[in-house]
Amino acid sequence: MLTYIENVVVYTFLMGSIYLLIALGFSLICGVLRIFHLGYAYIFPLTVYGTWMLMDKLEWPLVPSILGMIVIQFIIAALIYKGIIKKYLNSEDVLLTALLLIALIVEQAASYFYPIQAGVFLETTLMSGVFQLGGVVVPKQLVVGSGIALAMTGAFVIFFVKTKTGMAIRALSQDIYSSKIVGINVETLYVFTMMIVLVPVIIGTLIVAPVWALEPQMGWLYMITAILIAVLGGLGNIKGTIMASYLIGFAHAVSCFVISEPRFMNLSALIVVMIFLIIRPQGLARSESLW
Amino acid sequence: MVETELKRDRIVIRLGTKKWEWVLEPRYWRNTLIWAVILFLFPTASYFFSPGLINTMISANIYAAIAMPLALLTIGTGRMNFGPQFYIGVGGYTAALLSITYGWGPLLTLPFAILMCIVAALIFSPLVLMARGLYYVLLTLLLPLVFLEVTFIYPDIFKGDTGLFGIVPLLDTGNAKTNFLYIGYISTAIMFAYLWIINKVLKSRYGLLMAAINDDEDVAHSIGININKIKIIAFVCACTMIGIIGWFYAHYFSSFAGITYLPLTFMLKILLVLMIGGRAQVFGCVVGGYFVAFLEMLMIRFMGPIQPVLFPIILLILLFVLPEGLFGLYRKRRYREYLPTIHVRR
Repeated sequence: MLTYIENVVVYTFLMGSIYLLIALGFSLICGVLRIFHLGYAYIFPLTVYGTWMLMDKLEWPLVPSILGMIVIQFIIAALIYKGIIKKYLNSEDVLLTALLLIALIVEQAASYFYPIQAGVFLETTLMSGVFQLGGVVVPKQLVVGSGIALAMTGAFVIFFVKTKTGMAIRALSQDIYSSKIVGINVETLYVFTMMIVLVPVIIGTLIVAPVWALEPQMGWLYMITAILIAVLGGLGNIKGTIMASYLIGFAHAVSCFVISEPRFMNLSALIVVMIFLIIRPQGLARSESLW
Repeated sequence: MVETELKRDRIVIRLGTKKWEWVLEPRYWRNTLIWAVILFLFPTASYFFSPGLINTMISANIYAAIAMPLALLTIGTGRMNFGPQFYIGVGGYTAALLSITYGWGPLLTLPFAILMCIVAALIFSPLVLMARGLYYVLLTLLLPLVFLEVTFIYPDIFKGDTGLFGIVPLLDTGNAKTNFLYIGYISTAIMFAYLWIINKVLKSRYGLLMAAINDDEDVAHSIGININKIKIIAFVCACTMIGIIGWFYAHYFSSFAGITYLPLTFMLKILLVLMIGGRAQVFGCVVGGYFVAFLEMLMIRFMGPIQPVLFPIILLILLFVLPEGLFGLYRKRRYREYLPTIHVRR
């Protein structure tokens, strides 16, 4: 019984932290731009396959490849904003379809250049081996990743609460017209938001790359997790996102260690979200503000 | 007693207090008739020259037959449903399981597939009353994914990994080529039936009420429209029509796998048929279905392995350059009736 509890507690923390990294970006886009970024799935394969492509084709070492991939991601995010989101913000049917198509194009391109048999692997292990915590065995990589996730979330919270730019983004998320009146540069902040939200996602993907399976279709599953967390958290509220990440992590941990049926992981998370939406349709926290 | 009256531009048929009119003026039905004849001749022509085209035509008809109820759903509920493929799963699995378990043919499984779809649609119909905006998008997006998960969790029933095999085929004439020809006509008939029904509904008084709901739900409510009733009727009818396509898929391929129809990628294809065809215009769905199916086939034939990358790029470009879809090009110079709007965030 104690082992069950230990496993659930430890893996709730580990998985919840990783999910927080994966979902933070999606939640912030929901909060600031007030859209469902259904193209979010493209970020994950682009992180992995973009880095791999730079290493493979240009023969760059790992770190410069990662930096190069981040630059590419920033450029693509800015282009998506300028070319699609800005233009079709009031025509959401086109916007959501176009964003889904972007994710599909990136997935198919990754699959074309590096099919699953190519054996893409990123050596982004920060710490190898396992920790023994009581009766629980956990990969050190996930423990380090969880620490980074908490630090990253803390940095985002401080950024949004303490800095002038963060406050401007919060103002923008609450009322775009009032923000314009007080002189906030809406366009620049939107592009900036599109770029900074990439950081936790990219870091999260690189952390899980040596531990979890890599395939061109990986983005859809992560995006679904991100959507569940964002909606459960209240569409754009960081406090809600944090709570929702750990709640989904808890549902997954219970499926794995108490029910002993990992196949129920996704279904259990979906059921948790649906139950919460029926009880509290607005999510765990208010979606009107980022914090 | 049926009374028939021939007027200058129409035939009027009266039965008791009811009246039907058939407009004779060629400008109203000439183009429709021409296209209907072309579509009915197409399978026979393909049968002799290129039988493979019948397969593409079946896909096109089925894409259109899914997109048209989706258009009705979008207009009738005033919301964009991102999970119509859930009902393909319900209809398909019902037909497949009954056929495999009891050896039933398509005619026997059809009523049960319809019944299951009606029950499923009624169960989930409160969603169109309770959920709005992005929450509705999310819930409809997740529903087929939950079903997909269930097919993997219970492989003994649904065989999520491999799919269900051994379903009684839709037709068996003993000749595969002839089967294709007949199934081509069945798919065309289904597509035309859907087109006729949905077009009639949208042009009827109920269509007007649906259009009012689509334009502004609160205003529609304030002028005395029973919006809940209209939304539930539209939802259940459209979902059942989509479910019938699941039944068709199961018997056409003699196999059914949730992994083919339930993921986001299949939904995206239907969404593109709806958008590129004509932004939820019913005739546009037919144009969109044929365009997407034939473009895909041509690209597979001539572009080889790069096709999966180029296909969505072309569709993305078309999405941007055709503000009212392909059918909008045709309607541009003609009298415009109601042009639906697709709402997501509201």
